[in-house]
Amino acid sequence: MESAGMKIVIDDRPVEVEEGTTILQAAKQAGLHIPHLCFHPAFVPEGSCRICLVEIEGLPKLELACATAVRDGMKISTQSPRVREARRGVLEFLMADHPLDCPICDKAGECKLQDYYQEYGLFEGAFKEAKEKRDKIIKIAEKLILDRERCILCTRCVRFLSEITKTQELGVFRRGIHSEISTYEDAPVQNNYSGNLVDLCPVGAITDTEFRFKTRTWFLEKSESICPLCSRGCNIYVDYHPGFARIPGTAKIYRIRARENLEVNGRWICDFGRYGFPSLEKDRGDKILWKKEGRDTIMSWEKILSLLAEKLRPRHRAKNTSNIAVVANTWMTNEELFLLKKIFMDDLGLKKIFFADPKPGPEDGFLLLTERSPNARGAKEMGLELDSVSLEGLSQNTDILIIFGSFLADLHDPSSLKNVLDKIRTKVLVSSHRSGLESYVDFILPASGILEKTGSLTNRDGLVQKFSAVCPPCGDSRPEWSVLIELAKELRINAGYYSRLIQPEVILKEMGKEIAFFR
Amino acid sequence: MIAGLSSELKKKIAEVVARYPKKEAAILPVLHLIQRETGAIGADEERWVAGLLEIRPIKVREVVTFYTMYHQKPVGRYHIQVCSNLTCSLMGGEKVIDHFQKRLGIKIGETTRDQRFTLSEVECLGACEQAPCMMINFDYYGDLTPEKIDGLLKGLD
Amino acid sequence: MACSKAWTRHVDEKILTEHFGLANLYEIEAYLERGGYRAVTKALQEMTPAGIMDEVKKAGLRGRGGAGFPAGMKWSFVPKTSDKPKYLCVNADEGEPGTFKDRYILTHNPHLLIEGIIIASFSVGIHAAYVYIRGEYEAVAQRLEQALAQAAQKGYLGKDILETGFDLDVFVHRGAGAYICGEETALLESLEGKRGYPRLKPPFPATVGLFQCPTVINNVETLANIPVIIQKGAPWFLDKGLAKDGGTRIFGVSGPVVRPGIYELPVGTSLREIIYTHAGGLKPGKKLKAVIPGGMSAPILKADEIDIKMDFDSLAGVGSMLGSAAVIVIDEATPILDVLKKVAKFYAHESCGQCTPCRIGTSWIHKIIKRMSAGHGEKGDVDELVRLASNIKGKTLCPMGEAASLPVLSLAQKFKNELESCLKDGSG
Repeated sequence: MESAGMKIVIDDRPVEVEEGTTILQAAKQAGLHIPHLCFHPAFVPEGSCRICLVEIEGLPKLELACATAVRDGMKISTQSPRVREARRGVLEFLMADHPLDCPICDKAGECKLQDYYQEYGLFEGAFKEAKEKRDKIIKIAEKLILDRERCILCTRCVRFLSEITKTQELGVFRRGIHSEISTYEDAPVQNNYSGNLVDLCPVGAITDTEFRFKTRTWFLEKSESICPLCSRGCNIYVDYHPGFARIPGTAKIYRIRARENLEVNGRWICDFGRYGFPSLEKDRGDKILWKKEGRDTIMSWEKILSLLAEKLRPRHRAKNTSNIAVVANTWMTNEELFLLKKIFMDDLGLKKIFFADPKPGPEDGFLLLTERSPNARGAKEMGLELDSVSLEGLSQNTDILIIFGSFLADLHDPSSLKNVLDKIRTKVLVSSHRSGLESYVDFILPASGILEKTGSLTNRDGLVQKFSAVCPPCGDSRPEWSVLIELAKELRINAGYYSRLIQPEVILKEMGKEIAFFR
Repeated sequence: MIAGLSSELKKKIAEVVARYPKKEAAILPVLHLIQRETGAIGADEERWVAGLLEIRPIKVREVVTFYTMYHQKPVGRYHIQVCSNLTCSLMGGEKVIDHFQKRLGIKIGETTRDQRFTLSEVECLGACEQAPCMMINFDYYGDLTPEKIDGLLKGLD
Repeated sequence: MACSKAWTRHVDEKILTEHFGLANLYEIEAYLERGGYRAVTKALQEMTPAGIMDEVKKAGLRGRGGAGFPAGMKWSFVPKTSDKPKYLCVNADEGEPGTFKDRYILTHNPHLLIEGIIIASFSVGIHAAYVYIRGEYEAVAQRLEQALAQAAQKGYLGKDILETGFDLDVFVHRGAGAYICGEETALLESLEGKRGYPRLKPPFPATVGLFQCPTVINNVETLANIPVIIQKGAPWFLDKGLAKDGGTRIFGVSGPVVRPGIYELPVGTSLREIIYTHAGGLKPGKKLKAVIPGGMSAPILKADEIDIKMDFDSLAGVGSMLGSAAVIVIDEATPILDVLKKVAKFYAHESCGQCTPCRIGTSWIHKIIKRMSAGHGEKGDVDELVRLASNIKGKTLCPMGEAASLPVLSLAQKFKNELESCLKDGSG
């Protein structure tokens, strides 16, 4: 049998790898971790931190795992006494030039220096001399602070700005022990990917002002999700603090970080997405309200859905639903749009569903796209045409209007909206966010925010990406898919069908049966 | 300042840049030429060189701050660079430094009030057979003694 | 600039310093009168590039910059065919403390170097050469530029040299004060207009060098030996040495000796002879304490260790190195702590800062020694120096790690008692 691979042994483990694989990559394949600081898979090996040195049988000097390509028959040790000593030596040098900032450093808990010291160090410091004093609070970007005492000069930040964004805002000045990372004069790091520098920095030398001193990493639950702020569908980590039991208001999302997906966003996310998530949490609607005769009555889901069903049922029975209008948006998940279409178009006979989405914005030539919603492609693949709302069209002959999302408030001025909506007898707003629309509608149903939902989204390139809720729903809110299914059940349309669809995964499977794209 | 470069100098610079297949490779000789003219490489000079070599100003500063012969601030009319390395030290280099400090009334790294002299310590100059030695601007002087130093200083305006 | 000291030597047939007595040897007319450029003529008109390379390989010419890598072998690593241009970089950075020999060659006999450059380029297929000369050697660079202009005028450089169809341009490139740029890959980075950060090897400069093209980097003295190898042949050259390696070395002697200066002597001459016979021994009233045989980066030898042949193998055999053949003589009146202080200060100052062990280790070592010099040395400090130097040695990105650690190790080990006597809680 012909084998194109090379057979090597790492720590007595046989591994077969392709030509060109480095020792570091081969070790990863074998499930072994070799410590590294300056190496990052997005860049060409740098070889300057020296912590990844390993022993190769037959070679007199220790060699870099990150930069040495394996050869057939190589025997490598990542744990021999010589290797341990070399690693310890590098760690000791780094610690000798590193401040004891852990108690006040944001990176604690996810710091490579801490991790490696714990794993490979645990020695008593022997440095008796005066440590180099350097500037510690240097604002290098609107949201980034550089601490030169903590910097280990791995130059990942410099290389990121040189090779990825090609904006070169950072450089290394001076020489030897006095080497320092710096911006040029007053020119800050200013591009749509600056936030990645925080993730990239192995220690706490570059910190995020949005996160600085806010919490501790070990309180955070790391969940996987998808960024909804444009149609790229970048994979993200959401770090959520579940809250301290006895202190109200401490449960919140603290930050978003990039999650690697070489098919979608590579290893990065843009700042628009990274710093956009606080807007997802602001102005949340959390109560079910019935506005009647100038008074807001708080209701339960059962009551409000029953009321809504009451309004819709006669039209359904009379097979005359021409004066029902639905405005949806492409922030809704595949499952939600599927249910929407099924219920309103297939079952209730609406001819079309209108869409109101965020206004498009500028693309940045890399990840950020003009389409500022995550699921336009999903809507299209289901056969929904993204007809935008014309207020003229709405005002004619509409009796019942159901609006999903508050984007309508961004697209039209308040007086025009008021004019149109005043002419419609029953108006329902299903939205995660509060807005001016609330003053013109009768029923307000709080929808869960996208990070509180489970479901799937189809990105611009047609990739269906599943995600799970990162945190519990805000207040009384519920995801739209759940609201729609309950509504369908209240209306008693196709009862057997809708009552089976208990979870988004089940809905997606059902979609696969009916629509080839979602198979 | 940088705008007032003579056409002769600009011609020389262009000549130097043409010696390399990539413009940015000319940065070391160009910086030498500019510094000769303007006395120091400040932000204006960095931006001018960056424009000439089609690189960003930050790359110019990275180079300026790496090499010891480039100054970001002007030095005195006479830059006295005394070797403080091994052989010169074996041959009395410390005494040379002390003598200069006494004569000029300044310490290493400082410039006299009248801007005439800057005193620096440098590493091996490659003239160890004449230790202790020094450079004044670009001229070498070796076999230094306090008397010889006094004589030299007298001859400088 | 003054090159005032003696360059007398006692080899019957001089190689490099022949005619140094002439005041104007650097003028091409004088050089031609003395048989100059005959080697170039022979090489280009009577020999083949492969034949030249063979001869240089047979002569066993080892690099005279410090590392001692065989020149012919280095040239042979350049791929014979390449769609990229090939370059020659002449390393005239001469930063190793104690070394000044290349300055003499460049000042007195630049045409000898130019001949070597032309022959080497012809052999490897190079059409552009850069002489990287340290920034401080401004007058020297001017002398070289002048000599290059004269050579071009006479048709030895430029297009269609000696009507052989061979083109070659040689440019002078001045450095700006960085010892690390004497390391060949840092030299390339500096030539390309960047900070002098050494590169990872592999790939080696022979395949990926200047501007990513195949490149040969040779020291000034190495190339200056090429013309005589061509003229007189490899066996003659080998015969001149007293060791396995052939030819002569320009030994530089400095420190408290009667006649500091350069001495061209056969490879393998004894260190004792160099110091006492040629350089006249220690100055009156001074006694020998120690010798650094090959530039500051070479491990030190004690006064009773100077009966050693000055060639690569002999010195390597006793744990030192020939390096740049720069002999630094240290006398009894000099405390070893002072020597250690200068050594540590130099490497800390010259560390480029790219890799962890050198950047931080050299600074740490320097700080300990400064503390010791200020009278605050503590028990265990010397052992600590050895430990730290051992953590640098073999772990760095470039040979600067060895340069920074070996001298500290040899001083700490050979003069342990003297150093420890300076420590508190020690014996002093």
